[in-house]
Amino acid sequence: MSTELVKPCQLDRTGSFFKLIDAFASEIGELKQEMVQPGESADEDQDGSRMQSLAEDVESLFLQEMELKSSARDSGYDSLKRKISILDRLIQTHPVWLQLTMSDEEAIQILQRQQPGIFIVRKSAKLQKKIISLRLGNEITTSIRDFPIKESQFTFSLEGSGISFADLFRLVAFYCISRDVLPFTLRLPEAIVVAKSQADLEQVSKLGVGFWNSSLFNNNKDSAVIPPNAVKCSRLGELKKHIPREPLSNGVHSLHTRTPSELECSQTNGALCFVNPLFLEVHQQAKGAGGSLKRPKIQDSSAQKKSRVPPPRPPPPVIQKPSALQDQVKQVSMPQTSSCLKQHQDNTMGPGLSHSKKTTPVPPPRLKKRISLSESEQSKKTVQESRDTEMQSNAPEAVVSRTSEKDMCVSKRLNANTTLNATLCSQNAMHVQQNGGGRQRLSDMSISTSSSDSLDMDRTFPPPGCPGCEDSSPEDDYGPESDSETMAPPLKLKKKRSTSFVLPHIVKTQFRKVSGVFSSFMTPEKRMIKRIAEVSRDKRTYFGCLVQDYISFLQENKGCHVSGTDMLQTVRQFMTQVKNYLAQSSELDPPIESLIPEDEIDVVLEKAMHKCILKPLKGHIEACLKEFLELNGSWKQLKENLQLAKQKTPQELGVDATAPDSIMIEKIRHKFHTMQKMYSPEKKVMLLLRICKLIYTVMENNSGRMYGADDFLPMLTFVVAQCGMPELDLEIDYMMELLDPSLLHGEGGYYLTSAYGAMSLIKNFQEEQAARMLSSETRNTLHQWHRRRTTIRTIPTVDDFQNYLRVAFQEIISGCTAKTLMVKPYMTTAEVCELCADKFRVQEPDSYALSSSQRKQVSSWHQTPTLKK
Amino acid sequence: MAIRELKVCLLGDTGVGKSSVVCRFVQDHFDHNISPTIGASFLTKTVPCGKELHKFLIWDTAGQERFHSLAPMYYRGSAAAVIVYDITKMDTFQTLKKWVKELKEHGPEDIVVAIAGNKSDLSDIREVPVKEAKEYAESISAIFIETSARNAVNIEELFQKISRQIPPLDPQEYEKTDAFKLTRPPPTSSKRCC
Repeated sequence: MSTELVKPCQLDRTGSFFKLIDAFASEIGELKQEMVQPGESADEDQDGSRMQSLAEDVESLFLQEMELKSSARDSGYDSLKRKISILDRLIQTHPVWLQLTMSDEEAIQILQRQQPGIFIVRKSAKLQKKIISLRLGNEITTSIRDFPIKESQFTFSLEGSGISFADLFRLVAFYCISRDVLPFTLRLPEAIVVAKSQADLEQVSKLGVGFWNSSLFNNNKDSAVIPPNAVKCSRLGELKKHIPREPLSNGVHSLHTRTPSELECSQTNGALCFVNPLFLEVHQQAKGAGGSLKRPKIQDSSAQKKSRVPPPRPPPPVIQKPSALQDQVKQVSMPQTSSCLKQHQDNTMGPGLSHSKKTTPVPPPRLKKRISLSESEQSKKTVQESRDTEMQSNAPEAVVSRTSEKDMCVSKRLNANTTLNATLCSQNAMHVQQNGGGRQRLSDMSISTSSSDSLDMDRTFPPPGCPGCEDSSPEDDYGPESDSETMAPPLKLKKKRSTSFVLPHIVKTQFRKVSGVFSSFMTPEKRMIKRIAEVSRDKRTYFGCLVQDYISFLQENKGCHVSGTDMLQTVRQFMTQVKNYLAQSSELDPPIESLIPEDEIDVVLEKAMHKCILKPLKGHIEACLKEFLELNGSWKQLKENLQLAKQKTPQELGVDATAPDSIMIEKIRHKFHTMQKMYSPEKKVMLLLRICKLIYTVMENNSGRMYGADDFLPMLTFVVAQCGMPELDLEIDYMMELLDPSLLHGEGGYYLTSAYGAMSLIKNFQEEQAARMLSSETRNTLHQWHRRRTTIRTIPTVDDFQNYLRVAFQEIISGCTAKTLMVKPYMTTAEVCELCADKFRVQEPDSYALSSSQRKQVSSWHQTPTLKK
Repeated sequence: MAIRELKVCLLGDTGVGKSSVVCRFVQDHFDHNISPTIGASFLTKTVPCGKELHKFLIWDTAGQERFHSLAPMYYRGSAAAVIVYDITKMDTFQTLKKWVKELKEHGPEDIVVAIAGNKSDLSDIREVPVKEAKEYAESISAIFIETSARNAVNIEELFQKISRQIPPLDPQEYEKTDAFKLTRPPPTSSKRCC
């Protein structure tokens, strides 16, 4: 055995190990943390999901075996492809079942033709809430029922249920497995359930709402009519016969117990021992629920790992079907569970290989995107590639795994994605290897497949069709950092990155491991922001074009702004406009409403704007601001006055309380420095608040009384003077102009105003000493600022919609639906009509017309030559 | 109930007890409606008013003369301004008049102005007669009340009066109609589109 063969194997294990951990983490996370009242139903659910994964595994085994038999050459490869989790299926096919604008009538029309359990998620015009419209059984009088979805600040839940979820997809995925408050579990259309590959799903999802009338749907309907249970039983029966005799080669490695030395023995092998007990605990629960499932043991690759002591071999899981619950579970999970991993290979093998040809590591998110985009040619190519690999013997696998390992080494980042992807790569290598020859025990699989299942949920979150961004590797390298960035400045992180080269090997990998684990806890908010940031770098989307063009425009055209404030204003305006566009457009996939409760959408969009616009522009903006000040001489003046003010005693500045000592001033100065490194105005303001809090603490500690503005403002002036940082002036401008207008009235706005006031006093220190008054000029600028900032409201103005048209579509049967369409400035009405007809799927476009309705006056647009703006 | 955020600006000479009035208002009745703020210059309190909840965002200003020019930053966008004077000091009442004048000239158009004569517990050394202040307030159609932050007199009432003066949000119906509709043209019109 060559050493090359050992490596992939170790990687494999780590891969599955991570998957396990992620799976359990997410499972536990979702079921325990999000469960508001862990009651009976909760247990049931856990059981449910466990049962489901068991059922899945069993089925995947079965199907794979069948395929193995049917085509000897295939060696189970095709079946690998079928490993797509419910959540993935849901995410990818949301254009089918997520119909937020669908009317009651339309929904009834569609659902009436469906099997019980088929559902559509939409927004009820009556309730003004999202609802699940569910097809009930025929024996019940009303065949369709709506279940309202409750949106709290951070979660989604069904009304009447105590279980809440981070986003809509997770909610639906859960109710596909467990019924909780529903009469039975949700059921995905057969075409989605049986889809074997990403491409299949994409085909389905392309149809959108048309899917329900399509041939694809109707073809599959026949097969859906066959009572799934019957098939199930026979399959299970057959399966049971097979299990003991023929352990199958599909799936992933099981978990091994390892000595600490083993844990540290390779790049990808380190660290996660702290999660191991967690796994065991969960696993034991599973054992209790599922019957006799025990800890798995490895057979296949053990030859290469003699040093490892395999745990005792477990008996195969006994699959009983004691309850109706399981029937439901099967109903849902049956077809999709023919879970194998070819799809993963398509996704990650290909790039992995192409990687090995290049020397530079490609950041994983992009990789993934490029693939999942799967312009058919590309995907074919990668399939071909991976097929080739498979045909050859073990050597290429070693290459793959080594490459992935290298990726990890080279990229040297505390980046969750890298870890995940590397794991993914290694996992792939493993599959290949197993396909090649090794057989695996059922018990091994039952764990590992289920875990990969849930892991996929997190990992493949950026859905297909999500754009690649080849042209943005620097930002991309930059990008994910800030996901972990809370208060830590980007610069600092950069440093960390470089110093991590010095860190011992093991420590590094441990960091990565940990970050990988935590990434599964990433909130929908963070995922959404990340997603928007990704789209913003993709020039194939309208949004990406807007953002990228603006960024390069601003960077290349310094001369187009007359002052720093002017520049900041246009940036703020741009952000507000783009935000409004995003909220209205359908370019985000999945739609933001499915991940973020409605009240929070604006907040999330604002954060995303900071990330995709301010982050790349921060350096440029700062340089420009300073340049402007230097040009008109105010920088020099500011420095002089600051120096002057620094000489003053607290009393001379009007302070009537205990002033902070030099140590405290140093501490505050440090905080100001940290503030400078932030790109987000909100985070800067947060730090400013902390500084103010510090000042209050000093004041109050020494007197015990409360201080109002009479005392605080002079004190703040004193502190700013003592810090002696002229750059603070730029910071304050940056915050004042770029902060979300809705925050300006709050506490942040107040202290920002105070800081501005303090800075103004210092700036005009000499004059102020003479006249004891601020110059009238400052007064004027203040006035202007207020006028400006109060006119830019959160409410979108007409200007914001120059490029979009809100079109309401009225139908006699289904009422009114509205969409925002992107309209080029000089589009003709005919073109708009065409666009509308297309977007609303109007059957006879000629019988509809556009009319403009403004302030209750409706005027038709029959002959209007062009739409101006 | 919808929470409506109202910015309230606090004006008045230094030493008249601006902060004391607000501190008394915010801190007297500890209930769930108080969200903690970092210091006493900016305080918030939520009070019910009719069908709405009013969350007062109270912006304190520095009363010293040299900070006077900063005031526009504080009172801009305010729904209400509370101008406080000290009933024992006539010159604070004169300052108040200057503030009223400034607000009329530069303040938000429909700002609710409230005049609070603080330190009513010291009425034996009063310099500003109630009558004079009241008449002045009426002449500018402002709310008038004498308060004592020390004895917690009329503090609650002051803010209740302001709350009542805030016009309720009238629902804007433009959104529904301010859109282009794609509708079937009336049957009489030609079937041609565009």
